[in-house]
Amino acid sequence: MTAQRFFPIAVITLLLLALANLMFGAVSLSVEEVWSGLYASSENHFTIYEYRLPRIFLAILVGAGLALSGALVQGVIRNPLASPDVLGVSHGAGLAAVCYMTFFSGASTRWLPEVALTGGILAALVLWYLCGARSSAIKLAITGVALAALWASCIDFLMLTKPLEINNALLWLTGSLWGRGWTQLQALLPWFALIPLALGLSKYLNLLDLGDDSAISLGARPPYLRLLALAIAVALTAACVSICGPIGFLGLVAPHLTRKLVGGRHQPLLPATMLTGACLLLAADLAARTLDPPIELPAGILTAIIGAPYFLWLLLRMK
Amino acid sequence: MTRPFYGLTIALTAILLLFLGWWNLFAWSVIPIQAQDVWLSLTHFDSQSISHRIVQDLRLPRLLTAMLVGACLATAGTIMQGLTRNPLAAPSVLGINAGAALGMALVSTLPVLYGASSTSLAAMIGGGVAWLLVMLLGSSWRIGGNERGRLVLAGVAISALCAALTKAVVIMEEDQAAGVLTWLAGSLADARWQTWQHYWPFALAGLFGALLLTPSLNLLQLGEEHARNLGVNLLRSKLFGSFLVLLLVGTTISAVGSIGFIGLIVPHMARLLVGQDFRIFLPVAMLLGATLVTLADTLSRAISYPMETPAGAILALIGAPFFIYLVRKRTL
Amino acid sequence: MSLSAHKLSVGYHGQTIVKEMNLTLPDGKFIALLGPNGCGKSTLLKCFARILPAMSGEARWQGKNLHHYPSKQLSKELALLPQTQPIPEGIKVKDLVAYGRSPYTGFWGKLNQQDHQVVEQMMQQTGTFELKEKLVSELSGGQRQRVWLAMVLAQDTPYLLLDEPTTYMDINHQVELMHQLQILNQQGKTIITVLHDINQAARYCDHLVVMKSGELKYQGSPEEVLTSAMLQNVFSLQAQIHRDPVSNTPMCVVEDRSPPSPQHKD
Repeated sequence: MTAQRFFPIAVITLLLLALANLMFGAVSLSVEEVWSGLYASSENHFTIYEYRLPRIFLAILVGAGLALSGALVQGVIRNPLASPDVLGVSHGAGLAAVCYMTFFSGASTRWLPEVALTGGILAALVLWYLCGARSSAIKLAITGVALAALWASCIDFLMLTKPLEINNALLWLTGSLWGRGWTQLQALLPWFALIPLALGLSKYLNLLDLGDDSAISLGARPPYLRLLALAIAVALTAACVSICGPIGFLGLVAPHLTRKLVGGRHQPLLPATMLTGACLLLAADLAARTLDPPIELPAGILTAIIGAPYFLWLLLRMK
Repeated sequence: MTRPFYGLTIALTAILLLFLGWWNLFAWSVIPIQAQDVWLSLTHFDSQSISHRIVQDLRLPRLLTAMLVGACLATAGTIMQGLTRNPLAAPSVLGINAGAALGMALVSTLPVLYGASSTSLAAMIGGGVAWLLVMLLGSSWRIGGNERGRLVLAGVAISALCAALTKAVVIMEEDQAAGVLTWLAGSLADARWQTWQHYWPFALAGLFGALLLTPSLNLLQLGEEHARNLGVNLLRSKLFGSFLVLLLVGTTISAVGSIGFIGLIVPHMARLLVGQDFRIFLPVAMLLGATLVTLADTLSRAISYPMETPAGAILALIGAPFFIYLVRKRTL
Repeated sequence: MSLSAHKLSVGYHGQTIVKEMNLTLPDGKFIALLGPNGCGKSTLLKCFARILPAMSGEARWQGKNLHHYPSKQLSKELALLPQTQPIPEGIKVKDLVAYGRSPYTGFWGKLNQQDHQVVEQMMQQTGTFELKEKLVSELSGGQRQRVWLAMVLAQDTPYLLLDEPTTYMDINHQVELMHQLQILNQQGKTIITVLHDINQAARYCDHLVVMKSGELKYQGSPEEVLTSAMLQNVFSLQAQIHRDPVSNTPMCVVEDRSPPSPQHKD
């Protein structure tokens, strides 16, 4: 499939999924009911406007953000197993958020994205310190998952020892879109100003694919480029994690899948990855809400059920 | 090292274990228990005394279970590291814990499977399927196909998959969820005599079987080709070893839930103390495992006294940095 | 005399490999850097390609310190073909060759008419035009080498640096590449390449630079440089110098290995 054909198909899929997300759930609505629900007079206004609509926007943003960070990390580290969650950045950000909420109970959730960002950066620095720049793909991935396990066990530990705050923290960490609304959307939106910056790196990310020596000779400066791209990836991941908690494997799967479809050039790849990520998370959230209504599964569980086998397949294919 | 030194190590570990066990029986109890009450409750049991009752009915089965859990998990880890010749192998790393938990979650929540099997059998089957998948995907069954990093990553992915499925099952069957979540965290707080009775026969059988396996584990360390030349039946050793691992881990998880990292840490500690000979370091590993879990269980009452923190959470906190240390030290 | 080294020292991890070297590379020539393993010829090349910084002294371009130029400006003057190339995933041949135009394109990397022309021309010249829709990862080793050469040529620089381009190639591909480089040199490019094969260098190149232990030992035309004395001093080899019956260039035939001299450290 070429990029020219990918984009229309992906956009249509995205719109259809968004519509399906508006229609199905604990209560199923028809297309007309959805349409009239957008107006305040309708009885479905609350469900549609306050509940499903912001959640769709969030799913699109978070899916796009996580997928883009995955593509940036994979582009920079040239490691097919890399993604923010495999490298422990997501859980680092999550740990910082939980610490903030347990130790400063009553603190405003307004600063949650910044706190999560600090955690994500620290987690990335720890990984960098442990592995250095020239680790093999597998070693980097193992250290990353080990760190992720460490942060996760710290989170578990905090949640088990501070059970009073547990509900608040747990709500943020299930990797779910449940109960998120316009407020969270507002908190998340400023971070997406980073996207144009990320897209602007496409040309130079292409050169990194040729190896550092060629990239330098073609006018790129790999160390700065790496730092900038990783910083953007960490910031986007942290912002998403601070809203939804770690949603596993999305940042790994979406870029891979997209690279298969549109090729490895970053100019089409980065925007296409964002579309794929948005579609995947919308689909996961739709399934999470409709598998067994009225019970909702966290969308992160569904992405893990799809993503983990995909990771295994990648592992098998690696030489 | 000389033989008396082994004896000394074993004796010292055993003494440490006894001391910690005694301490475990009275320390950080919500209802205060005097140290001498512990002794009295064992020699002159007085059913009127609350502290005697607590020691007899709650603390003692809990302590015995903790010791056995430690020994079982350490043994399972030792066997796995021996079979795969991979220093990072352990039940929790290679997906057995998560698989066993999934098996139990399925049996205890899905109405279709109600009573289809006992929980420990379900844990064994779940763990077995996960272990088989990891070994196949990590290409560890093939002769010479022993890529350490790949095996571990396969284990991690299978763990993530099983954990996600377990959570999904638990959330969908809400009425059963509370019970399932408790043992997911891996706590000894609910171990009673009944738990102990269901647990010890299988656990002891597994531990005894592991001792029988040690000579072939020793030979396996020379490499599979050499081991074959020296008359080890590779397939039989691997199958028997895997069966033992599943027996030990499956019964442990169904008794107290998923406790991680003991199987990873303890074999390394034991090897550091007494060297590479499995016949010697396996018993040391059993003692050390029992000591560590006993200690963790005591701490689990201390950390947020008077609340209980699951011992599994404490061990994960110690275990994850150790795992990172191992990854850094070894060339993968 | 655009590329030169002035008291230049280069190395890795605090270890000096090229030692206080003074060297001027003549323009418009096909230059080979020769010397035993570890003599610093690749290190020197990497310093000229800006991959390694100078530890002391200067590598100069047009008389000014090379490392002070803006990266983008130099990328229109000097191109490098590294010794080994990664295999990028999901990249087509035409995309890879187009990456060579990066110094000329805007921030989104869009190609204009002229860029398209150059890319096509370079694919024609290297015989990779019919592969243009294929993925780089699907190519054979020889095809891949040609595609990379096309990419470097699309950079359209007057100077071309190559790091042991023939080392991992079959003999037929080696000959093809050297021939191609010779044509490019005749078209006006200055070509600087690290080589292992002395006879290959003497046959195709018109200027040889011989290094040993980080120092410049000999420099000049093949006639001047390729002598028994040089082979004795630099490679510790006893060799006769004959004429190549095809190209009439000098070639060496090894007689025997000399007893190792005490100061020889390779």
